Amino acid sequence: MGDGEGREKPEETKKIVHTYPLIRHSDMPEEMKQESMELVVTACEKHSTNNEAAARMIKEEMDKKFGPPFHVVVGEGFGFEISFECQNLLYMFFGGNLAIVIWKC
Amino acid sequence: MPPTTSIKKVLNTKTLKKSRQSNTRVEDGDDLEEWKKSKQLLRPKDQLELSEGELKDIIARQLGTNDPLIPHNLVQFNYAQGGFELMPPAGPMIVVYEAQGTQVHKESEEAKKQVVEQGLDPAILEISQSTETLAVEEPIPVIPEEVIEEVAAEESEKPEEETEAEEGEGEGEGEGEGEGEGEGESIRPEDDEDKPQTGGKPKKLTNQFNFCERAALTYNNPMRTQETQTIPPPMGTFSANVLQWIIYDAYQEDFEAQQLEKELERERKEKEKAPVSRHQAMAKKLVGKAHQLSEAVQGRVLECWKVLERMVNQNTFDDIAKDYRYWEDPSDEFRDEEGTLLPLWKFHYDKTRKNTVTDIEWNPHYYDLFAVCFGFLDFMKPLEEGAVCLFTLKNPSFPDYICMTDSAVMCVDTHPKYPYMVVIGLYDGSVSVYNVQATCKQPAFRSNNVTNKHRGIVWEVKWAPDLPDGEMNFYSVSEDGKINNWVLMQNDLAVTTIITLFLAKDEVFGPDGTKLKVKGCASCVKFHPKQPLIYLVGTEEGHIYKCSTAYSSMFLLTYEAHHMPVYRIDFNRYNSDIFISCSGDWRIKIWEDNRLEPLFVFDVGACVGDVKWAPYSSTVFAAVTSEGKVYVFDLNVNKYKPICVQAIVSKRRNKLTRISFNPKLPIIIVGDDKGCVQTLKLSPNLRIPCKAPKKQQHLDQWTLQCMKLDKLLSLVREPGALDLPEDTAESIES
Repeated sequence: MGDGEGREKPEETKKIVHTYPLIRHSDMPEEMKQESMELVVTACEKHSTNNEAAARMIKEEMDKKFGPPFHVVVGEGFGFEISFECQNLLYMFFGGNLAIVIWKC
Repeated sequence: MPPTTSIKKVLNTKTLKKSRQSNTRVEDGDDLEEWKKSKQLLRPKDQLELSEGELKDIIARQLGTNDPLIPHNLVQFNYAQGGFELMPPAGPMIVVYEAQGTQVHKESEEAKKQVVEQGLDPAILEISQSTETLAVEEPIPVIPEEVIEEVAAEESEKPEEETEAEEGEGEGEGEGEGEGEGEGESIRPEDDEDKPQTGGKPKKLTNQFNFCERAALTYNNPMRTQETQTIPPPMGTFSANVLQWIIYDAYQEDFEAQQLEKELERERKEKEKAPVSRHQAMAKKLVGKAHQLSEAVQGRVLECWKVLERMVNQNTFDDIAKDYRYWEDPSDEFRDEEGTLLPLWKFHYDKTRKNTVTDIEWNPHYYDLFAVCFGFLDFMKPLEEGAVCLFTLKNPSFPDYICMTDSAVMCVDTHPKYPYMVVIGLYDGSVSVYNVQATCKQPAFRSNNVTNKHRGIVWEVKWAPDLPDGEMNFYSVSEDGKINNWVLMQNDLAVTTIITLFLAKDEVFGPDGTKLKVKGCASCVKFHPKQPLIYLVGTEEGHIYKCSTAYSSMFLLTYEAHHMPVYRIDFNRYNSDIFISCSGDWRIKIWEDNRLEPLFVFDVGACVGDVKWAPYSSTVFAAVTSEGKVYVFDLNVNKYKPICVQAIVSKRRNKLTRISFNPKLPIIIVGDDKGCVQTLKLSPNLRIPCKAPKKQQHLDQWTLQCMKLDKLLSLVREPGALDLPEDTAESIES
């Protein structure tokens, strides 16, 4: 039993590619966070090849839902230093290689 | 001067003037004739000379209604249609002067009315009207209308004439003026007389255009300025770098955390499967996540320590461990029928050395785990505390679970489906349910110490099959003659009394004259293994009652079994119609259902604390006595004598109280009154398996065992009369 498990495990870890949305940092209220996360998932799935379009969609939806002005960054590699209105920041990963930052200022 | 005369004069002058005018008109007509005759026709030089014929030619003249001056093609731009449009031709009428019709001639009837009704300035009116009234009102009775007009015309002319001929006709006019003034004076009284009439009914004429505008200017309120500034929304700064490896690491980390959480969740669920008490539920709410984690870590450490402890124990008791599994007494081959018991480990717990082992029971799920109750049976020396300990054969030095109680524990039962649910009955009459997996410190359920309890020692508890709703429930029998059913509700125990064991005796008079029905004191209970409703109750009076949970007032059967309290009853594993009972009257009796006389009676010469059928054989049972001996019978081998009698503890100091067969291994445990549990291994002679007859090789052990018992029973069953002599004849001496 123990040996069998041991053999299987390393293979498993290699295979797994995590694609679920992972919230890295957020100070949004729980409800808003969930809504935003769902929005991000929808947008990134819809525009899987076009980050700009995804970012635009997220921004516009966020503006509509929670009031402007929101800023959105979608990308695979970037650095940022932002100042944001408290309770309006979401920094999350999605799809295994995308990072999404949403903030209001 | 009378007015009539003056008017006549005026009239005379008028007629004169008129005749003069008519004369002049006639003269004018005559002049035209004369002028025409004398006129010479002048011809323009360029006039056409027409011949006679041409002149005679009659040129027809047409007279039409068309006015050549009127334009017929007047157009007007229509903005709606965006083009010019012919206008209808204007009529032949030419407007020379136009005046708005809001004016009324002041002499017309309407004007007069208005003046009268408005009652405007009578003074002004008098002056302006004085002359008129004179002319208008005076002549009415005498003179016809034509004359009046003439008079009015004359009077209006008069002033002009006067100015023209002021100087020349001074005298003649003087009279006229005097007359005029006189008239004015004479008329006034009449005017005065009229006045009250007009002023009497002043009627306001409604005129919507007749309004006056009024306005007022109020003071302006003083102005004040006030300023405020809101607090800007709180801002924060955040910075991070996004790189692929950061994302990957974050996912890995989160995944591991999830795995850990799942593991914890699983553990928690396993714990939650068992209903937990509200204390625990509350405790769970209080502890945070971190605390849970540390608990999990502690649990793992504890696990390690347990394994270590077991390893050490295995080392110390190496020989016993080997005996327990592999040693078979070789001397059995040379002994004909008898067997021996090999003592293995002794289990005890330091805190309960003074207690008596009141009940022992193997766990139905783990074959190496058993529960031991520590209470007391010597009621001259009561003890304050009791305990339930769960020992495992793997660790003889210390119990795996310890549940300390504040009263002596008299009985225990482990739930067959949930092996961590342990119910205990206490000396003080209450019952408790422990979830040993969750916590041993406090019971998950506990009967109320005041309202929900037995009024006597709880002698036996027994789990019942779960209710249809999945609620666990158990039965308890007590000295107070009641058998209760307890249901584990969400937070508490719900109790129902199944039966009260009233004796079939007349009512007894109490000290104050009241009548009391005597109750039997139940001392043990056993449920029928196949019919869940049927159960047997042994009492301290020595009776065994066969009851059903469906009837709460009557017994199905009453066995007059013993002369002393019945300590334990046990159903045969193979034939549920057969049961065995033991008693304080030194005897062990084997009964068949619905047969009031016992099939076998064995006298062992001492108080029999417990008797149990062996799980591996239909004919083997074992009993323990207060003399410290274990008796093992095999009816198939010897119907009269035990095949093994062995003193386990010293006869003088110790008593044996309980015995229990391990359901899997050839091991029995016996408890004594010094809080010690002894493990004994049965030698091969005590557990001889059935040999299948040559003709029926295919039969399995179960059927063979049943057949063996049936064969044995058929020997003793037939004549009912034979049973009685057996009772005395077959008693054996120890």
